[in-house]
Amino acid sequence: MAGSIFDHLQEEVQDIIGRYPVKRSALLPLLNLAQREEGYVSEEAMKAIAALLDLTPPQVYETVTFYTMFNLKPIGKFHVQVCKSLMCALVGSDDVIEWIREKLGIRVGQTTDDGLFTLSVVECLGSCATGPMMQINDDYYERLTKETVCRILDELKQQGDCPLKSGPFMVPEPTS
Amino acid sequence: MSQETGQPTVTLTIDGMTITVPKDTLVIEAARQAGVMIPHFCYHPKLAPDANCRMCFVEIEKMPRLQTSCSTKVAEGMVVRTTSPTVQQARKSVLEFILANHPLDCPVCDQGGRCDLQDFSHEYTPPVSRFTELKRVFPKEYFSALIETQMNRCVQCLRCVRYCDQVMDVKALAPQGRGTLTEIKSFGHHELDCEFCGGCVQICPVGAITSRLSMYEFRPWMLKRAETICGYCGDGCEITLQTKENRLIEVNSTLGGGRNNADLCARGFFGYHASTHPDRLTTPLVRKDGHLVEVTWEEALETVAAQVGWVKDEYGPEAIGGLISARCTNEDLYLFQKFMRLVLGTNHLDSSVRYGYMNAIEAFRRVQGLHRWTVTFDDVVAADTLMLIGTNVTETNPITGLKIKEAVKQRGARLITLESLKPVRGTISNIATLATHHLELSPDQFGIGVLGLIKAVFEQGLVDSALEQEAPEYVGALRTKIEAITWDRLLAHSTLTPSMFHAAVRTFEQGARSIVVVGQGVLRSPGGYATMVNIHDVLLLLGRLDRPGCGIAALAEENNEQGAIEMGAVPDLLPGALPVSDPEARRAVAASWGQEPPRTPGLTMMEMIERAKTGHLKALFVVGENPLGSLPPSAGVAEALDRVELLVCQELFLTETAQRAHVVLPACSYAEKDGTCINTEGHTQAVRKAIEPLGESRPDWEIFSALSVLLDSPMEYETAKDLTKEIRNMIPASRVLGPAPLPPRPDREVLRRYILGGYRDDLDGRLTPPPVTKTTGTMTLSFAQSLFHSGKFSTKAKGLLKIQSAGVANLNPQDAERLGVRTGDRIEIRNEGGSAITPVRAWERVPEGVVVFPEHFDQDLRQVMSVTVDPRTGVPYCKLARVSVEKV
Ligand code: SF4
Ligand code: SF4
Ligand code: SF4
Ligand code: FES
Repeated sequence: MAGSIFDHLQEEVQDIIGRYPVKRSALLPLLNLAQREEGYVSEEAMKAIAALLDLTPPQVYETVTFYTMFNLKPIGKFHVQVCKSLMCALVGSDDVIEWIREKLGIRVGQTTDDGLFTLSVVECLGSCATGPMMQINDDYYERLTKETVCRILDELKQQGDCPLKSGPFMVPEPTS
Repeated sequence: MSQETGQPTVTLTIDGMTITVPKDTLVIEAARQAGVMIPHFCYHPKLAPDANCRMCFVEIEKMPRLQTSCSTKVAEGMVVRTTSPTVQQARKSVLEFILANHPLDCPVCDQGGRCDLQDFSHEYTPPVSRFTELKRVFPKEYFSALIETQMNRCVQCLRCVRYCDQVMDVKALAPQGRGTLTEIKSFGHHELDCEFCGGCVQICPVGAITSRLSMYEFRPWMLKRAETICGYCGDGCEITLQTKENRLIEVNSTLGGGRNNADLCARGFFGYHASTHPDRLTTPLVRKDGHLVEVTWEEALETVAAQVGWVKDEYGPEAIGGLISARCTNEDLYLFQKFMRLVLGTNHLDSSVRYGYMNAIEAFRRVQGLHRWTVTFDDVVAADTLMLIGTNVTETNPITGLKIKEAVKQRGARLITLESLKPVRGTISNIATLATHHLELSPDQFGIGVLGLIKAVFEQGLVDSALEQEAPEYVGALRTKIEAITWDRLLAHSTLTPSMFHAAVRTFEQGARSIVVVGQGVLRSPGGYATMVNIHDVLLLLGRLDRPGCGIAALAEENNEQGAIEMGAVPDLLPGALPVSDPEARRAVAASWGQEPPRTPGLTMMEMIERAKTGHLKALFVVGENPLGSLPPSAGVAEALDRVELLVCQELFLTETAQRAHVVLPACSYAEKDGTCINTEGHTQAVRKAIEPLGESRPDWEIFSALSVLLDSPMEYETAKDLTKEIRNMIPASRVLGPAPLPPRPDREVLRRYILGGYRDDLDGRLTPPPVTKTTGTMTLSFAQSLFHSGKFSTKAKGLLKIQSAGVANLNPQDAERLGVRTGDRIEIRNEGGSAITPVRAWERVPEGVVVFPEHFDQDLRQVMSVTVDPRTGVPYCKLARVSVEKV
């Protein structure tokens, strides 16, 4: 696929496809790869994956839309995912969403004008004991208060990082 | 064990009735056989059970819980209850859940009156729902020009998705999202891009997917139905033409009906409006002072009779010729040749089989001594090895394509393809993606490909030993000839290697039921006849020609090409495909006609054109055929037509040819007449009238009949049925209407004659690769058939025009890049014959160095085509050219 987003990843792509007896099984890992590269799964990426796996684009789209963790639209540099499952809801996830809205001016599903933050709500992230909590990109931020939320967002904006991050502690281990 | 078939059976009880069905039958099917209809949504006999809708619950004794009858197989002694209170309760619940979201759309839904949900709701749901929540509402999105979706109505049975995948192998539909919010879409927000077979429209049990062509036009009970045969391709699908007030409203097909068993293609499903296009000719026209003017039938027929009578008296019957389209019914074709032979006294008659199919017939007759396939569609489905040469099959013969897909996908047949395709999957079938061995050839190289197969058979030592004993000289001669041709020479212009041929023939040889399917790529390219004979050689060498279940299936493009052969609508064959030159055959015909047909052999189409050019052919009858529009200008058809003194056209439209006629007689289309036609595998099927003839148009046969009366040798028939009867009496093989006559076996005597000497006639020519004509910088232009059209007739169908309304030159993306063009840009295609400008599309499946252009829109581009005529079969080759291509 000339000009595809996988051009510079040929080796990794081949390695992924090579892991499975049936090509089609490589669909999810390749979608993950595409999302890692672009932050979301673009139509171009879906077409490229279809061609690689001998599928049609509608078949790839079907899978993408089944999983809520694939983004169909470009997202901000920091993807803020607030847990809204029961445990967090009981200890104030609604407040967290409200604080973020106040601070950044975005609602769930929206991205800030500067392209830095996208706000989503997600199901249980497995930190029920430390709610309310949110995940930003690969990091957890737990026991949130209005102050910590503001500080986290400020520091991410200014320094691209924030020492308040706390995990995730469980798995998966980062691969690199 | 069943008495008749020896198949294992199972006996069970359904609602108190005891029935015996074959082992492995699904309970829902067994119930159907017992006359019990179990309500269902997701089940469909064409699809693998999915059991997702839960509507088909039944109670089975000794089984816990209710069972889905669509996925449960029968077992000995099983006791099934389909109407017990528990079952009824379950049905209610399933429907209540569906109706929780289903809108009250029936008054505005085209499915109303034939909707499963409507019927089941009437039967099983309580009148009030307990749900008070809001219904789900999907934002309305444009889906496509021909197919409409209304996802609020979807019951999520996934029949459409499964059909598009399992049967069509297109995979253009996909469920998107999850749970209640699952929606059937194509690719994201893009418009549907697919084969438009209409299968999803037909298979959706509710009104979630409907046809836009008939939107809001009808209620099912307003429609009149006619079971007839699609007029487009040689597959001969059974269709139900539904009409209202003499208008064609829609097309359906019936499960279990015809050779297609409910499957159709875009042409059959969406192409029906061609018949009633406003441009249809509705009154006879006669040329007066240089203009065609409307006249009465009397005047037109008398003009024809007077003039043709004069030509006959003045110049003799040899000065008259006739051409007929193989889209006509058997009755038309039969009476046409009878009219030419008996009334006018000439054998100068030909039909559109001459454009290519004749190559197959002549080869069949020479080697096998027959003029039909020795296999049927059922054999194709049952084949374990299939080889496709020069055909992507779906474009020309979509249903044959489905049979091949079924053999490969569901029964594990091995597929070898020799085709000008790259095996890239898209949402339009590409048969190469299913191939175990794909030999990619340029469209002018299929002959070379077949030589490669012969060479590989020898090199792999696969020659049938019985043949070697019976005809050592034949085998030896082939071996010597083919050894003299080097692989370097054969494969000079391709990326193929000898080992790919070796592997392909080894695979083919392993099959016990092996069929070769041959398409337009062979039949319409120079050397088509020779290649057809060479394909016979391949099968002979492998010992596969004369085995049951094996054979050669050459694809007819038009719906009744086989009929044209059987009816004798060619210069050298009489009805029953008996040779004109055979005195016995002529006598047999005379027994029915009361007079012998002329014995002098007739002229083929191209010979007639030549004779007309030199002024020797004075009168020409052209019936539904349009040589001026089909052949390139270099064929000189215009010059020929200008010189004839009488040109009579029986036509639906004022075609290029008809515009030059002296008399134009309005004929009616297949939708307006009765008759029969024969599909490519030799099945005779009934064409039935769905609407009254438009204007004053008449069936072709009626016109011949009327003329014969005026010419004093009356051939009078009350109805088409009388003609059918006469035909059946003359041609025993077509006596059977409906189920096929058993396919013939090759004639051993003729086969022997061929391998014991007949092969020699043209061996040198046949086993010589054509000279290399490639000059650097040029490309091969190929006029090919599109899936969405058939000839020029379909370009009058408004539905099909919505899918494809203009010609686009298709190029490999790499070629496009080299030329600096992108999809939508324009290119100039040029050679010594002329030039034309056309838009381009970059398409991954087109091999490099090839330009594929749909022949239906070839008007301007035809100038680059030159015509060569096959020395043995008279087939004009004009589908390939070497051209240079530039960006404009
Ligand atoms: S090919 Fe098109 S029309 Fe046919 S079933 Fe698939 S989506 Fe429907
Ligand atoms: S569109 Fe029709 S066939 Fe397809 S899933 Fe919905 S109800 Fe079933
Ligand atoms: S064009 Fe051929 S395949 Fe399509 S519906 Fe008509 S007969 Fe069938
Ligand atoms: S028909 Fe059996 S579950 Fe749908």
